[in-house]
Amino acid sequence: MSKIMTVDILSSIKGAQPSESVNKLFDVIKNAHPSNNNAVNTVNHNCVSVSDLREDVVVESSAIEKQLILENFPNKKNGFLVVAKVIEG
Amino acid sequence: MDSQIKKIHQQLVSKQITCTALVQEKLDLLKQNTYNSVNSLLDTMALELAAKVDAKIANGETIGLLEGIPFGIKDVYMLQGTYTTASSDLLKNYKSPYTATAIQKLLDAGAIPLVKENCDSFGHGSSSENTIFGAVKNAIDPTLVAGGSSGGSAVNVAKEYTAFSIGGDTGGSIRQPAGYNHIYGFKPTYGRISRFGLMAYASSTDCVGPLAKSIEDIRIVLNVMSGKDPKDQTSIASSEISEEAIATSAVKTIGYFKNFIESDAIDTQIKADFLASIEKIKAKGIAVKELDFFKSDILVSTYYTLAMAETASNLSRLDGTNYGNRIEAENLIETYAVTRSENFSEETKRRIVGGNQVLSQGFSDEIYLKGLAVRDQISENFSKDFEEVDIILSPVTPSTPPKIGDSLKDPLAMYLSDAYTVGFSLGQLPTLTVPQGTSTGLQITAAKNNDELVLKFANFLKDTI
Repeated sequence: MSKIMTVDILSSIKGAQPSESVNKLFDVIKNAHPSNNNAVNTVNHNCVSVSDLREDVVVESSAIEKQLILENFPNKKNGFLVVAKVIEG
Repeated sequence: MDSQIKKIHQQLVSKQITCTALVQEKLDLLKQNTYNSVNSLLDTMALELAAKVDAKIANGETIGLLEGIPFGIKDVYMLQGTYTTASSDLLKNYKSPYTATAIQKLLDAGAIPLVKENCDSFGHGSSSENTIFGAVKNAIDPTLVAGGSSGGSAVNVAKEYTAFSIGGDTGGSIRQPAGYNHIYGFKPTYGRISRFGLMAYASSTDCVGPLAKSIEDIRIVLNVMSGKDPKDQTSIASSEISEEAIATSAVKTIGYFKNFIESDAIDTQIKADFLASIEKIKAKGIAVKELDFFKSDILVSTYYTLAMAETASNLSRLDGTNYGNRIEAENLIETYAVTRSENFSEETKRRIVGGNQVLSQGFSDEIYLKGLAVRDQISENFSKDFEEVDIILSPVTPSTPPKIGDSLKDPLAMYLSDAYTVGFSLGQLPTLTVPQGTSTGLQITAAKNNDELVLKFANFLKDTI
């Protein structure tokens, strides 16, 4: 199998091709000359401090939440949740 | 326009109207409306909540300011037990298992949700035409688009079907439809309101925010929804904004981006109206500085590069395995591919493919990482600007709303129409659209975490132009 993955494979979208309109946007970035081209995010610090993490505990879902998750499941048969075949070549 | 919330509250407390009658009236209006602003009505839940408010009033109990106030929710927010479709085929039968933090806070305050509102699918659009529920029509001229992606929310507020609505803004999705429908729409500082329970589009710019008919209503709803949330680790603590704090403005200096106004792309009337507004502000003794900023094409390209990369990642979970409209094929990989190919709209596919392009090996350095570097520069530019000025004022859009059907024909034109909103998203800055100054309004922006100053200046502008 080729190591190069095309965008249709990467996107799991059949026959997907790069769009001309979107490529025009990317061309602008390719031709841009940022002064700090080291690509280290210096301003937008969205990372979370390790001293401010939420508690590492399992929170039990409510009965109604579990019920809705089951309701959303796409395929059911004889009381079982049916998943897609996972047999790969 | 005065506060709708306070007006309704007064009517309820003085028993001029019952909450049930009010909610029923709004539900009827929403049901009959021809603007395609509704994805689903929450009639049973709303009427049950209204009966509780009426019982409380009948018992002589005090009710809170938001108790019994009817509001709308963009159909990308979780509300337990209700359909949350993101206006997509993939999730058209999906029910929220839990409730978004921002919406829960409104429920806790007693506000009554009436409707899940039409929008561009997964927030992908600037016109609310990319939806399985039909293009949302503009509240002022129904032949034009409502704007997007929070188009249904803007129309419901403009037509007073809801007292306020909760939209989502990633690159202008609250501010632009607010401008197109002549109402207020606020994108707070990134993180001020928890994103937990908002379907992720581009996580680094996604913001929850209110659309309403008055600054006071924006303030009230903002205060209720704000706050740090352990379920969203990017959320931040903030202090409440009081009515008194925003009553008077001490703004001395404002700025505007010269290149936005000198651009060939701006409509001549919008340009003339914007400059006339600037003159009125100067006449009040406020200094106005012309600022240099990045070219519109750089802003739009940086935003879309990063937003597409993030949405490609965020939407990769939608494969029909645990939820969504799965289409079975011969094996797992094929099932993923057919489910996604058949259920995503053309615009959503375009953005997912674009995102995977820039994230893939060989392209990420040249495009994605460079996009991040440009974003840093944009943020630095804002930091420097706010050392010189208190507020930045801009038009919301370069042009007036397009006719329904035109935006879908030309995606590049649609992307470029976001030129004036996306920069503030990249900077994560608080920005409010006010329905004044130009035919699609004005944007008021302050430095990060200075949301209060934005509302202050909006009150000043209300009396100035």
